[in-house]
Amino acid sequence: MSELQELPDDPGAVKLPDADGRVPVRIDVNGRARTLRVRTTQTLLDALREQLRLQGARSGCGVGMCGACTVLLDGRAASGCLTLAAVCDGTDVRTVEGLEDPSGELSRVQEAFLRHRAFQCSYCTPGFVLALEALLAVDPSPDEAAIREAFSGHICRCGSYSRIMAAALEVAGATDRREQA
Amino acid sequence: MSTPAFFFPRSVAEAVDVMDSYDGAAKLVAGGTALTLMVQQRLVSPQALVSLRDVPGLGEVLVDEDSGLLRIGALVTHAAAARHPLVRRHAPLLADSLAVVGNAQVRSAATVGGVLAEADYASDPPATLRALDAEVAAHGLAGERTIGVGELLLGFYQTALAPAEVVTEVRVPVLPAGTGSAYLKYTSRSHEDRPCVGVAAIVGLADDGSCADLRVAVGAACDAPLRLGDVEQQIRGRRLDGATLSEFADAYADRIDPVSDVRGSAWYRREMVRVWVRRAIEQALLRSGAHEHSKERAQ
Repeated sequence: MSELQELPDDPGAVKLPDADGRVPVRIDVNGRARTLRVRTTQTLLDALREQLRLQGARSGCGVGMCGACTVLLDGRAASGCLTLAAVCDGTDVRTVEGLEDPSGELSRVQEAFLRHRAFQCSYCTPGFVLALEALLAVDPSPDEAAIREAFSGHICRCGSYSRIMAAALEVAGATDRREQA
Repeated sequence: MSTPAFFFPRSVAEAVDVMDSYDGAAKLVAGGTALTLMVQQRLVSPQALVSLRDVPGLGEVLVDEDSGLLRIGALVTHAAAARHPLVRRHAPLLADSLAVVGNAQVRSAATVGGVLAEADYASDPPATLRALDAEVAAHGLAGERTIGVGELLLGFYQTALAPAEVVTEVRVPVLPAGTGSAYLKYTSRSHEDRPCVGVAAIVGLADDGSCADLRVAVGAACDAPLRLGDVEQQIRGRRLDGATLSEFADAYADRIDPVSDVRGSAWYRREMVRVWVRRAIEQALLRSGAHEHSKERAQ
């Protein structure tokens, strides 16, 4: 508090850290309103995993290159490791845990990944699934190029790319070019 | 280190006031992709973080017919600007250079104001904005001023912005009809990597086929985008044949002070500048009106 001497009269919404260095953040996570107390330097990924124990989003490279930490932030694919939790106040966050419907039925993207066994270790899978969900939300029948572009920030170290593409193309209603050939 | 306070100002003036009250110890958050990393890696330890998220009016894209400026709000994301019809029409090479930054997640968060205010040498858009003679509008304690991108970017992560100054808009002179332009990104390790060298080229030809306008900026190879105005000037009025392009590219390669990093040594970068400056101009020539006319005549 000591550094806050000459603040303007109305500096907008201010979040001053409490004695533990935390601020309250309200986020709608997988359809449920949650209030978290986060450090202002904490990432969304860390808050989801550590505070809410939602561990579908994973920490991979830590620099926004691998896609393992992907979540849907107000519908768009976002890297949890490049997003401050405090900035997410008032937003809608969806993780892979929130894709199934209340009866436990998986999304059609998840079903397609299962059908095509589009993974080995599965560390990257939530990221790929959410990237495709975000793409389908704005483009219900993307072509192969659009899918590849949406996957460009996602790395599968097991090398399941061809199965991942097959699953994605099936959901997109497109035909794998190799099958046409 | 104490945890920084977090602010959501509701106007640019409020943001300036908060930044000023921390006297250089606060950091602005736009898209947050760069700042989040810097905070996580303890490269910066601000006393306050000031999010521009709730500041209205920074997300517009429009063309001001009177001034001939394409005006892009500072909070417009790379993805939104890259697909915006006005950007694609009036500054196609800017759309191209925004579309090759990082990956989809980064592009949907990172902003055109943020990429300039951060002044990371290893990014794509700054060189293009330098070649386009773009300016930023910045609001500070003394009101608004405009700063040319060449004057804004001083070096590695160094800008001419005052601690309490907020970039509000990027202003790009629209390219005249018939102008050819290109941004070429050369990556040395992987497709999604940052550039080893990026080159933005803009070419306008006179009716007789001689060079009327040539603007080239090299990015990611040294501390701030490199433009050589005197070399550009010498080329005007001449025909852009192979020998002339080589001479031009050699001047950039010879005069750049290249950085050595994981994407390439200084020696390697110098040679890549020689290659990619030439290729970028060739690509821009292919897209120029003169080339389109000659194709029509040939048909």
